[in-house]
Amino acid sequence: VSEIISQSALRALAAEWIAGGKSVAGPARVKPDLVLYRALRSGDDLLLEGFQRPSNSIKEFLFPKAEKLYGYKIRGNSIELIENDSPEPAQVIIAARPCDAAALPILDHVFNWDFQDEFYNRRRAATTVITLACSAHDENCFCTSVELDPGSERGSDAILFELGDGQYELRCVTEKGRALFDGKTEKSERTAKAIPGPERKFDAQAVRAFVTTHFEDAFWKEHALTCIGCGTCAFSCPACHCFDIVDAGPAAGNARVKTWDSCQFSTFTAHASGHNPRPVQPARQRQRILHKFAIYPEKFGEILCTGCGNCARNCPVGLGVLSVATEINHG
Amino acid sequence: MSKAQEFEPKIVAYVCNWCTYLGADLAGTARLEYPPNVRIIRLPCSGRIDFNLIIKALEVGADGVLVSGCHPGDCHYTAGNYHARRRWILFRELLDTLGVDLRRIEFSWISAAEGRKWQQVVTEFTDQMRKLGPYKELYATGAFPDVPAPETALNGTRSFAAQSELREVCHKLLAEGTVKVVIGYGARGPVVATRPEDAERLVWNNRCFSNLTAYLKRKEIKALGKAAVIVKPCDEKSLVELEKEAQFVRKDAHVIGMACEGVGQPKCAHCTARTPRFADVTLGVAAGPEPQSSPSPDRFAALMAMPPAERMAFWTEEFNRCVKCYACRQVCPMCYCERCIVDKNRPIAIDPAPSTKGNFAWQIARAFHLAGRCVGCGECSRACPAGIDLALLNISLHIAAQKNFGYEAGADPKAEPLIGSYTLQDTEDFIL
Repeated sequence: VSEIISQSALRALAAEWIAGGKSVAGPARVKPDLVLYRALRSGDDLLLEGFQRPSNSIKEFLFPKAEKLYGYKIRGNSIELIENDSPEPAQVIIAARPCDAAALPILDHVFNWDFQDEFYNRRRAATTVITLACSAHDENCFCTSVELDPGSERGSDAILFELGDGQYELRCVTEKGRALFDGKTEKSERTAKAIPGPERKFDAQAVRAFVTTHFEDAFWKEHALTCIGCGTCAFSCPACHCFDIVDAGPAAGNARVKTWDSCQFSTFTAHASGHNPRPVQPARQRQRILHKFAIYPEKFGEILCTGCGNCARNCPVGLGVLSVATEINHG
Repeated sequence: MSKAQEFEPKIVAYVCNWCTYLGADLAGTARLEYPPNVRIIRLPCSGRIDFNLIIKALEVGADGVLVSGCHPGDCHYTAGNYHARRRWILFRELLDTLGVDLRRIEFSWISAAEGRKWQQVVTEFTDQMRKLGPYKELYATGAFPDVPAPETALNGTRSFAAQSELREVCHKLLAEGTVKVVIGYGARGPVVATRPEDAERLVWNNRCFSNLTAYLKRKEIKALGKAAVIVKPCDEKSLVELEKEAQFVRKDAHVIGMACEGVGQPKCAHCTARTPRFADVTLGVAAGPEPQSSPSPDRFAALMAMPPAERMAFWTEEFNRCVKCYACRQVCPMCYCERCIVDKNRPIAIDPAPSTKGNFAWQIARAFHLAGRCVGCGECSRACPAGIDLALLNISLHIAAQKNFGYEAGADPKAEPLIGSYTLQDTEDFIL
């Protein structure tokens, strides 16, 4: 016996959550050729089909692109700090892709490793993630190459599987997920078929072996020649989590703000002295792959990549983790 | 309403040291009365009044900004005010495109002898700001009609006939050592070919979007030796401007021009040339006749048809999606500063956080630094992962340059760069 819910019931439920004061985020069509995860204004805003995956990721609802850490007031010679400890409102992320949800445990590790990031943890505790399993994949998808699959439950509180004819099978993974759907589903005999994922495109272990032994290698120089050094890959990645802390002045209301940062920026490792330990783009590209396939796995035991393919889809010059990893694998 | 609750506008005045500041001083010594709402900031010259300062004043809560310097002909540095005039003409057009209320920014020429004019300008401007009330509409959200999105490029790949000839030419260039590297297009994006056999990876089709001249500035590419670069006629224009700005030496590069069959919208909406003009070698056959002048795309007309408040609401929604990945800057051949103004942090010139104000300040700086320099390749719009149609700002300045100065970036290699030059005849109708 399975639990099912119709698309219209799902939309009605989303509307109910919004009306109940929850922030609800999910895929929405922003422009004819652009789908993004964003705060939904209504149940009808929610886009459930007709696209591969949003161009951004759900990380921004837990790790916003700009987060005020605290404010300050300057009075004469003294500075008064104003803590930002307001509780986060309950939040539901609906129709997240499995490759987005799977990135949350990755972020959990890093934001609770040597320092507990209260801002992240507060948002994480207030968030429920409802995933929609993928029913299709494109040439940029490679979840199966990083130990995931289109129906992966990792990081989800509940997961929906398409049954066709506007019905979804619901599987609740956590109590949080169960609480949202209690009494909202119907019993059924129908269950979703296993979804075929993209073929395995590279061997992650081989990539790890290569990057740990080829720190100085002509490969990086050649491979990175066309990288233009923007932050598109990192900012649309569900798992990239580097940040900077900046003092936003009076124009921004006097605050210390945590903002996204990218290892592809030349300023990322620039020292105050003018020295830059990663002076050229090849060193920065190497860092990105090294961090994803060796440094993070060494520390936390898993790959810092969920195979969503956003880096390749968004890259203005057609690079991305997939192209580097396949090049490493297949020479 | 009691006296205490009445609105008193805050006005920031940026004035030059030699004329307007002394004019204001004269007003004081002559005991001329004027409203105390104005906070004067003295700068050496009106030419030094950076547009970012105007934005900054509005950001921190000014209701109006007054900008003033020496009359034309009176500049104590000979020509600072002529440079300023040219920039103000263009900058106002950009602000208008963004929906900034132009009534809140006043420009004037006030000499050291014109204490009375200073009194009059400040009094009238303050009165006007009192009537307008606090500037709450700055970067405000709201409703606005649809702006047609740029058409997306076709998904299918259509190879052009010149592809095989291109490969042959590049193979030969690399084999004979004429160049060390060829910057061209591959199946997924740009390709840097260094060995003759790499020429087989080059393609020429309707998906060759990138403006490859952006690679010429990169240290890693320069280190490889003499480069051949493949250009479409639209991309070629950036070489013209780069050469004028001493960023590119024509004889140090081999330019392979492709007569263009079009790579699809929206890039081709600005098309003014289908055949390269300066290339060392031109391959392929252009499709259709040469367009005469660049049409302004429907989407720009739709934007400008809105009232300013709706334009501002449009941009606020667009810029709120900006994540500051700087893809717009990195793909741009004309953005070559060693250190971009937004990366400067001693002190911070532009809020580096992707906040509403920070995003506006960044996008205004990016667009205006490209005034009279942007050749309209449209790469910024294409690269933006947040789908912001950034090229609209560049189109605004492109039209302003054409209309006011008859200047078209990338067209005439002999024309003096628009910013950095001036004429005594530059005309405007807004400076008091």
